[in-house]
Amino acid sequence: MENTGAGQEVRSGHWKRNGLATERFTINGTGGRNNPLRKPLQSPFSDGEIFVRFNLRYDLSGLDSPPEATGEFFVLWLDESEGTDGSPHAANIPNIGIHVHNNQNRFMIRYNSTNQKFAEPLQGNRNYAIVARLWKSSPKKLEPFDQLSLWIDPQETQELDPDISVQNRKSISTLKWIGFATGAKTEIEDQIDVWDIRIAKSWREVMDLPVEPADPNYAPDMEQPPAKKTVSFRQHIHPILSKHCYSCHTGEDAEAGVRLDTLDEVMQHVSLLRHADSQLYKVLIDGTMPPEGSSLSSSELQQIATWIDEGLDWDLNLLPVPIPTSEHWAFQPITRPIIPAPNKSTTSQTAPSEWVRNPIDAFIAAKHASAGLTPNESADPRTLQRRLSLNVHGLPPQADSDSHDFDINSMLSSPSYGQHFARRWLDIARWAESNGHQHNRDRTHAWRYRDWVISAFANGIPFDQFLREQIAGDELPESRPSQLIATGFLAATRYSGNELDKQIQRNDILVDITNTTASAFLGLTFECAQCHSHKFDPISIRDYYRFQAYFISGQPQNLVLSDNENSAELATKRWTLFNEVEQRLLRTRRKQGYPEPIQVTPTNVVAQMRPVEKAAFKRMNEQLSSLGQTWGFYSPSTASRRLTVAPHEMRWQLPHDPSLLAKLRGAILIRGDLRARGPEVRAGWPLVFGAASAENQTRLELANWLTDKQNPLTARVWVNRIWQWHFGRGLVETSNDFGTQGARPSHPGLLDFLASELIDHNWDTQHIQKLILASATYQLASDTSDKSLKIDPDNRLYWRWTPHRLQAEAIRDSILEVSGRLNHHHGGPGMPQESNRRSIYLRQKRDNLPEQQILFDSANGIITCARRRTSTTALQPLWLMNSEFAQAAARDFAERAKNIETAIHIALHREATPDELQSLGQLEAEFGLSSACLAILNSSEFLYIP
Amino acid sequence: MISRTTMMNRRAFAANAGLGAGSVALRSLFASDLDPKTHALAPHHPPTARSVIFLFMSGGPSQVDTFDPKPELAKLSGQDVPDSLAKNVPRIKRAGLANLLASPWDFQRQGDAGIAVSDLLPELGKHADELCVIRSMTHRNPVHGPGECVALTGTSIGDRPSLGAWSLYGLGSETQELPAFITMNLHTDGMQFPQAAGWNPGFLPSKYQGTVVNPAQGILHAKLPANVSTTQREQELQAIQEMNRKFYSSTKLNELEARIRSYETAFKMQISAPELFAIKQETAETHDLYGCNEKTTREVGRACLLARRMVQRGVRFIQIRVGGWDAHGNLKGNHEKMAARTDRPIAGLLSDLKRTGLLQNTLVVWGGEFGRTPTMEGRSGGRDHSPSAYTTWLAGGGTRGGQTVGHTDPIGYTVTERPVKPLDLHATILHALGIDAKQLIYDHHGLQENPLGVTGGSVVSEVFSST
Repeated sequence: MENTGAGQEVRSGHWKRNGLATERFTINGTGGRNNPLRKPLQSPFSDGEIFVRFNLRYDLSGLDSPPEATGEFFVLWLDESEGTDGSPHAANIPNIGIHVHNNQNRFMIRYNSTNQKFAEPLQGNRNYAIVARLWKSSPKKLEPFDQLSLWIDPQETQELDPDISVQNRKSISTLKWIGFATGAKTEIEDQIDVWDIRIAKSWREVMDLPVEPADPNYAPDMEQPPAKKTVSFRQHIHPILSKHCYSCHTGEDAEAGVRLDTLDEVMQHVSLLRHADSQLYKVLIDGTMPPEGSSLSSSELQQIATWIDEGLDWDLNLLPVPIPTSEHWAFQPITRPIIPAPNKSTTSQTAPSEWVRNPIDAFIAAKHASAGLTPNESADPRTLQRRLSLNVHGLPPQADSDSHDFDINSMLSSPSYGQHFARRWLDIARWAESNGHQHNRDRTHAWRYRDWVISAFANGIPFDQFLREQIAGDELPESRPSQLIATGFLAATRYSGNELDKQIQRNDILVDITNTTASAFLGLTFECAQCHSHKFDPISIRDYYRFQAYFISGQPQNLVLSDNENSAELATKRWTLFNEVEQRLLRTRRKQGYPEPIQVTPTNVVAQMRPVEKAAFKRMNEQLSSLGQTWGFYSPSTASRRLTVAPHEMRWQLPHDPSLLAKLRGAILIRGDLRARGPEVRAGWPLVFGAASAENQTRLELANWLTDKQNPLTARVWVNRIWQWHFGRGLVETSNDFGTQGARPSHPGLLDFLASELIDHNWDTQHIQKLILASATYQLASDTSDKSLKIDPDNRLYWRWTPHRLQAEAIRDSILEVSGRLNHHHGGPGMPQESNRRSIYLRQKRDNLPEQQILFDSANGIITCARRRTSTTALQPLWLMNSEFAQAAARDFAERAKNIETAIHIALHREATPDELQSLGQLEAEFGLSSACLAILNSSEFLYIP
Repeated sequence: MISRTTMMNRRAFAANAGLGAGSVALRSLFASDLDPKTHALAPHHPPTARSVIFLFMSGGPSQVDTFDPKPELAKLSGQDVPDSLAKNVPRIKRAGLANLLASPWDFQRQGDAGIAVSDLLPELGKHADELCVIRSMTHRNPVHGPGECVALTGTSIGDRPSLGAWSLYGLGSETQELPAFITMNLHTDGMQFPQAAGWNPGFLPSKYQGTVVNPAQGILHAKLPANVSTTQREQELQAIQEMNRKFYSSTKLNELEARIRSYETAFKMQISAPELFAIKQETAETHDLYGCNEKTTREVGRACLLARRMVQRGVRFIQIRVGGWDAHGNLKGNHEKMAARTDRPIAGLLSDLKRTGLLQNTLVVWGGEFGRTPTMEGRSGGRDHSPSAYTTWLAGGGTRGGQTVGHTDPIGYTVTERPVKPLDLHATILHALGIDAKQLIYDHHGLQENPLGVTGGSVVSEVFSST
């Protein structure tokens, strides 16, 4: 569309004139409130959105310039009622027009004087095209038109980018009248022309754009049920089901797990709108059901068929959504347990009161006593020093310290602590620095989240804050850069750049975020409920999609961190240029006869740019990339402020489209099938934990619930992870599954004690770690005892320390450290494999992780990993002995140590034994010291936390 | 029939008799267990195949240009898909219905059974009597990455164990000197990145994962460094083992015992792995058979020859992934190039397996993550992805060659008879190995998992010789 030359006639030449838009009106003020031009809509309108448009020209001679004069007022209103000639409309009615602001006449949208926004100043004697969109964030008949946006002289590609937007929940829900009003500031001599006034149902329509094929990306790809239903659940269906089905198929213990007394469950057994494909109908028509008693009559069958074809009418008053209850231990409130008193009455030597150093030991000792176990002595100081250093820092202790003293506080304040523990959380966050899937492009800004996690541990930020910022950083009041970076937790999801089906692409992301969030913070496996209500846990399919709905209005993006007006404008210009050229290319291809739907890649679009555009585009991209960015998760409709979105590398991306995001609604997908969209749901947590707020649908609400002191899971799950990270195994062994299928806690009292401590100490993770590290339990020697082995071979009751292998990263870091090659530089973008930085800084490209990570059981960065396995394969020694990395390390180690005694001291912190001196001495004599050093680096003692 | 759980418990009890640990502990011990006594496990039923060679044609070879002839396509060329057929085409992305594209190749009926193979693959055509061609493969994911995961793990997420990992879990390893599951990724240029899910262990212990091998380089780090002699390594190992035995005796941890054994295995691997890759031992005629001497066929030829050598050395599951079949533009050029790379080496492999008698108990599988549309994509002369109907063939390992399974519509767009899902294929391959997939149980956090997952699958029994 182009301007038609002379003056500033905007597009009027292309307008069809019909309905309201047949005439040009000249309106004069009266110096008072007036309602000069109004018209009823053809029929009342209460659907999701409506666009209005009019052209406007304000005569310059009548224009006052405040503050000398009072300025101007002129609006188009939309209302339920007509009003009268002189009567104003009530507050909270959407108005679009002109009003004074900061001593200027400006374009304005308002509901009332506290819900109004202003745009650019009005110029006289100029033709304007004004477009507004009035819509419902919840597109239901009775919901209000709470969203209003305005464009002044919009470009056709500007749909996502209105000049101003305003919200008001108190607005009307039905429109019947449209009209113009003037006010006291509109004088008699003011002359205002309006013409081409019209309403439309879509942006394309209001902008006179050619009708596109229906956008399959957002329209639910399903047929709509008939509006008028002939079969009523209460009247027709309930009696049939009661008669034939309900004796077996109701309640939680329904026969064969098929329950027909809740809508969500019935839906799982039908193909909506298609009775012939519906399992429920099939088993009735072929006589499989009911197995006993009389079959359904043909009229009953017909009613069932119609019921399905009409979209399953239901009566929630008759059969409401059941509220599940559960006796499961992990869903019960956390109560601070009584610390067991040291057992004095026992005849054995168990649990001497002097063994107990802190409450942890008291709980452990109580179990020792009842099992008849005698705990080991404490480990010797050298071993303890190694244990702490390898476990807390992921590195052996500094060789130059001869003292074996250690100070837990200072260990937890070393940068190595943050670097080591961050990796464990990154496992859970299935974090990596590429998109995954086929194209697997790099996420060049994802490293900021890694650094954020490191600093979160290092700075000891409370766990509730840690959680809140990751789940809702963009919604927090200030949405500071660090909080935006924290949303990298959600954004760490894989994201297929080769997926043309936008519904699938978005759904895959949502499913992953839902499952990961639930297991990371609640320790629950939600994934089953994606397709059917959980077979074991009280999580229904409705619960699943309610939980998912918290995330539905956001998506992963590169977010500009230091954003300001300039960066926002830069990004807008960049997106606008891109979108314009994309539209041009689409038009060209359409003309050339490409079949619909025409797909163009970002590369195609850039190739299509004219030289001037390309230069500008390149410049803007460079400017944007020079601003700090992070790979984060952003929901424009719920974020506390508008963020600047920068582009990312991907062939088929989700559209950069705030208004479409805001329109997305959660819905139950029947049997998890994206094409079988069931009823819409509002966001909420599983009903077994009580009802969620219907008002507040934000992730912040979810985060607040998760960190509520009453939440039975969050604190338990977190202290259990901490315990696992120190002992190699959680008190609940299945640390990502606290559901009924997970393991029961070995020490329920201790778990609840630690959870209570966490909550009562302001969610201080390090408080729990200090308790653990200072306990006698943590400091036990690893010696074996035949008697204890017989009672508790797996050491589930902690009578000794169980050595465990270093994690992949710590193996590499320890080798680098003893060979004197570890580069302690920290932070910044991911490094290539050859780097000598700590492993956490190596680039984490999905499907192409650093070799030693794959060999030594690292997390794969695809799904959340709560606990790494320890597998032992022959490929591991091959790497430890033959790789260039190991060979070079052995050489450097030898050069540093100069002799075997020192090498043993550096790597193992002890004297060499005579046997070692002999066997390693032989290696040194025949093949050089590096051969002996290689042997030391391959020793289990070097690779295990003793 | 013995379930895998029973086998495992029996084994674990044997290894840890008297410890009386709970079942969870048994599994965690097992995860780090490398006990040579317990390597090969008993199958559920007598197997017809001992090894599998999965020739994964990544990118999606076009069924209507290879093994599923559609004369109708030539007649309708340039027209839209007729409504009568279009109504059956699933409403998924990329399923274009405009501008049908005739195959540029003719088909010949080959061998005694008269199986049709296109002129694109003349050498393979000579083996038509060995091929059991399943023309009715079908799923719904038209994207490479997830499609590849569907083809090799059964679902699109990529978090479940690969077929190869399941086969190892079920049967263990016959070789203690080589990895039992080896994958070779060839021609991974362009955007055809291999999906690690295809050889990953998913929730199974990582000892079941496939080892990625570059056919030109061998197993990574298996070779001694240039300056290290076997004697040196032997003495180093002795010193390492001494230290490790001492550490083990102070802790009595099973995984430390397993570590000691892993060094023994690694030492053997240092000898046997380079031997495996020393294909110079093969005759000039054999090199020629696989096309090892020609530039176009060298890469795939070498991998196929190595696959045969692996089978001879007891490797259970060999996956050769050949990327590049993604013919969006210029179908003719793309498929001619890919056929030139693969036709002779794969035919050579079949000939060689046959003449050595190995084909009898080696199951060869050929196929991609999906097929291609019978319509032209855009105006580029190529075809788009299409998972609705595509072809996979099996040879050897107890399958009956010279037959086709299933039917597609007259333009090869959808399956009209005997749909076979990837998980049905997996059940079939495992069946050939002697595994009843439904009985192969792994306890994953309390969920009794098997290779067929929640959606299930069943053996395509007609592929096997009637017994």
